[in-house]
Amino acid sequence: METENLISATSVTKAIQAPDGTLLRILRGVDLNVNSGEAVALLGASGSGKSTLLGLLAGLDQPSAGEILLLGEKMAGLDEDECARLRLGRVGFVFQSFQLLPGMTALENVALPLKMAKVRGFKNQASQLLAEVGLSERSDHLPIQLSGGEQQRVALARAFAGDPSVLFADEPTGNLDPKTGGQIIDLLFALRDRCGTALILVTHDEVLAGRCDKVFRLEDGKLRQAS
Amino acid sequence: MSSRAIVRYLQQNKALVLLLLAIGIGVTALTSVAFFVDRVDRALLLQGAALMAADLVIEQSGEVTPQWQERAEQLDLQYSYQVSFPSVIFHNDAPVLVQVKAVDENYPLRGTLKVSAGQDQVDTGPEREQAYGSQTLFGALGLDQQGRQIPLGNLVLTLAGRVNHEPDIGGSLFQFAPRLMINYQDALESGLLTAASRARYRFLLAGPADKIGQYRRWVEARLPPGSRIMSVENARPEMRLALERGRRFLDLAALCASLLAGIAIMLSARQYVNQATDAVAVMRTLGMTGGQALYHHFRELLGTVLLGAALGVGAGYLGQEILYLLVGDWFGEQLPPPGLRSIGLGFSYALILLLFSLPALMRIRQISPLRVLRRDLGSADASTLVSWLVAAGAFSLLVIWQVEDQSLALIMLSMVAGVVLVSIGLGWLLLLLIRPYKGRGGSLGIGVAALTRNTGLTLWQIMGFTMGITMLLLLALVRTDLLETWHDSLPARAPNHFLINVQPAEKADLQRWLESKQIPNSGMYATVRGRLTHIRGKSVDPSDYQEERARRLVSREFSLGFSNTLQTDNEIVSGAPWKPGVFPQGGFSVEVKLAERLGIKPGDSLTFNVAGQPLNAEIVNLRTVSWDSFNVNFFVQGNASLKSGLPTAYITSLYLDENSRAALVRKLASDYPAASLLDVRPMIDRIRQVMDKGAMAVESVFLFTLLAAVLVTLSAVQISRAERAREIAILRSLGASRQLVMSNMLIEFGLIGLISGGLGALLANITGQIIAHRLFDLASGFNMVLWITGLAGGALGMIVVGYFAMRSLLNTSPMHVLQSR
Repeated sequence: METENLISATSVTKAIQAPDGTLLRILRGVDLNVNSGEAVALLGASGSGKSTLLGLLAGLDQPSAGEILLLGEKMAGLDEDECARLRLGRVGFVFQSFQLLPGMTALENVALPLKMAKVRGFKNQASQLLAEVGLSERSDHLPIQLSGGEQQRVALARAFAGDPSVLFADEPTGNLDPKTGGQIIDLLFALRDRCGTALILVTHDEVLAGRCDKVFRLEDGKLRQAS
Repeated sequence: MSSRAIVRYLQQNKALVLLLLAIGIGVTALTSVAFFVDRVDRALLLQGAALMAADLVIEQSGEVTPQWQERAEQLDLQYSYQVSFPSVIFHNDAPVLVQVKAVDENYPLRGTLKVSAGQDQVDTGPEREQAYGSQTLFGALGLDQQGRQIPLGNLVLTLAGRVNHEPDIGGSLFQFAPRLMINYQDALESGLLTAASRARYRFLLAGPADKIGQYRRWVEARLPPGSRIMSVENARPEMRLALERGRRFLDLAALCASLLAGIAIMLSARQYVNQATDAVAVMRTLGMTGGQALYHHFRELLGTVLLGAALGVGAGYLGQEILYLLVGDWFGEQLPPPGLRSIGLGFSYALILLLFSLPALMRIRQISPLRVLRRDLGSADASTLVSWLVAAGAFSLLVIWQVEDQSLALIMLSMVAGVVLVSIGLGWLLLLLIRPYKGRGGSLGIGVAALTRNTGLTLWQIMGFTMGITMLLLLALVRTDLLETWHDSLPARAPNHFLINVQPAEKADLQRWLESKQIPNSGMYATVRGRLTHIRGKSVDPSDYQEERARRLVSREFSLGFSNTLQTDNEIVSGAPWKPGVFPQGGFSVEVKLAERLGIKPGDSLTFNVAGQPLNAEIVNLRTVSWDSFNVNFFVQGNASLKSGLPTAYITSLYLDENSRAALVRKLASDYPAASLLDVRPMIDRIRQVMDKGAMAVESVFLFTLLAAVLVTLSAVQISRAERAREIAILRSLGASRQLVMSNMLIEFGLIGLISGGLGALLANITGQIIAHRLFDLASGFNMVLWITGLAGGALGMIVVGYFAMRSLLNTSPMHVLQSR
């Protein structure tokens, strides 16, 4: 399979104004390339800027300096709505706190990105995905009626709906016990293998990071490849 | 969406439920108030119409123009002809002056006529060759039986009945002659209606308000000179004042309810957007644009608004029916049913109310998808100026729609702006002042800390509470003043008879007699009729005046009064005091509204033609008059010395019970045959009835405003619910007892209530004074009770509402709250 560069970050810097007026540099000249099908882990201590970098790569935020290309498009100069259109149907997310919509059932949550991308037969596709994560029988349940592990499985199904090119995962097991967390990670990698999706995984779990193709460590705002 | 899905969705989305409730209760309050007000309004107009026997009367000096009837038939209006003129009938060869009123078979169009004809009770005008006499006519003729023949011009009429009740007691109180009611056709054939006779022809009309309005506009452009239109509004000054004040209050109450509903919607929409923020952030990471998110939520809100409006209109209809059941009795059968218009009106209200949610809704566009990674980003930035302007526009639209009176609309808009500015400005300042107490231990310290943790949120709450409290206090204030004034203006022993045509030689003796019988009276005033001929030495011409009323005033005769004391209800508003030293050359005191109309002021000279003699003096002062007091009052009063040489008679008004009335009638018959007694009890009863009913309506409409205020309070409490839930969970997980948590919370609510109550009292006091003075002609000053009610009521009310709204949070497990984040 021919590889394609999906994410390219060059000399990315992010600085914010601290409450005392000083400039806080979170990222200092980060370079990163992610190709199609590749799994990349971002390791780092709490507060090291992992989530900030993830947000920048996904086009949720703009860097202070440097250039980011997502799916071949320059993010600089795009407003939030243009970024959103770029993500539509091509980028998936998994969050530490699941972020399911509380008023929608498991099935409706999974179908949401398909519906937004106007995919035909979105209901059937969503049902299949729910079956794939082992939750066919809970499709009518609301998030509040599901356990943490189940909620994250719904979130996984939602993330892979529409076969995205890139999946961003922010500490996906952070809120789960080790056993459930392990199951979720197995499921995540199984889905990734099937869909051939590139994966950017933010974690502080070295073992989990070890399952990725490349591991990067974020320290003092700088990104270094660990393996 | 299926109904199950809607229910499920609402269960999950509490803010939407709150919004639905806000819209529902808002529309309920609005429609029931608007429609009950409309019904009451129409009933009051009808009662006013009953005092005129019609909805509209055209009075002219010549015969009724034939086109009047044609146009009335085209518009399908009821009509009736009338003519009245003075004449003389002979009794035992002595002439008796009578006022003849000729009516046709349609009379009266409004109200009822009650006539005793022999053993029967009759409610229609006399047939051909018959006549009915008033009580005073029977007295003047010394008759106690009916059936007597009376010659009148070419006619010989049979006195077939005694009028016990007549809806339109003449055009003015001061038509004193005994009254004779005859058939209209007879009058035309009597030979008495010549060009020289002082006849006033009237064309009475009744029908639906819009058609009457249409007719009025049509006829106004065609009125011949010397004619005038009378409608309920200008029928009687004493009646008009009561009606106007009542109507204005109902307007004010309905407006307060609408504005409060708007505030409730603003607050709950804010809560709705806060709750939607996380979901919007997720959808935006999934590729939804800001515009799409906004559209999605707008659609959801619109659906909610329409559902709320439907529920509200239904409940509003029931609400006004309940009001009708409660007080409808008081209006007899005259309370017309509510129109179908209520449905359209309810939905239109709801759509205007939707605009109140715009400032909150527009924030959805700005919700950052980054929030899914960083919760500390909080909700979206402040709303745009445009959306606030739209909400302000919605406010103004509601105010202008609801209130016909422009000055009331202006005052209310200024008050709302005042509440927003003052509550945010002073509220912020007060929060700054109590900040030092934050560090203190105990519940007060934690309560103050809670207030200052999110200043923006607290200020929103203070604004909402202040608005509710201000409106309630304002209404309470105006209502109390209004009801008291209504009550005081017609005390139980208000004069109920006028004694007229007392000769100067009889005055002292009669006055002594009245004193000996302890009959209360409003003082003996000399009076004479005169026509205004010159102002400032320049001769008066009706065509000098643009306004129709002014033209009419200068072309008619005035009843001039003479006395060195002013009536007790008069108040001098400009010029010198009314005492003999001030007018050595004689002087006039003029009623202030008449002076405005004629463009005259103290210092100007007036000349009247009284029985061929000129009467000239300068205006000493202008004064207000309580026309509804039933005291003897004059538009123009001269000092006592001015009357010398003039053919005056005396007049007074008195309160008579049945015994003193009989005694006076006997005394008049034996000693003072020229004097006559005019009974105004039916009119007083009618006015008192209208006022009582108005008071009931006022109280019931006030209830709705109260409901709307409670809703605002609830919405304002709810906007801090999520923050409070998290805070309580943290406090509880740290080991705080339920009692401690509850007392913290109640102190916080109490403090907010205290601040809002104080601000509300301040604003209500200021606005109340302006409204009372400018719109209701009532005096109102600093009101201690208002401040105490505001402060204590605010704090207590808030604690009670806060307790019930937040009680459930204390019963929720802290773990559940923390996990659900």
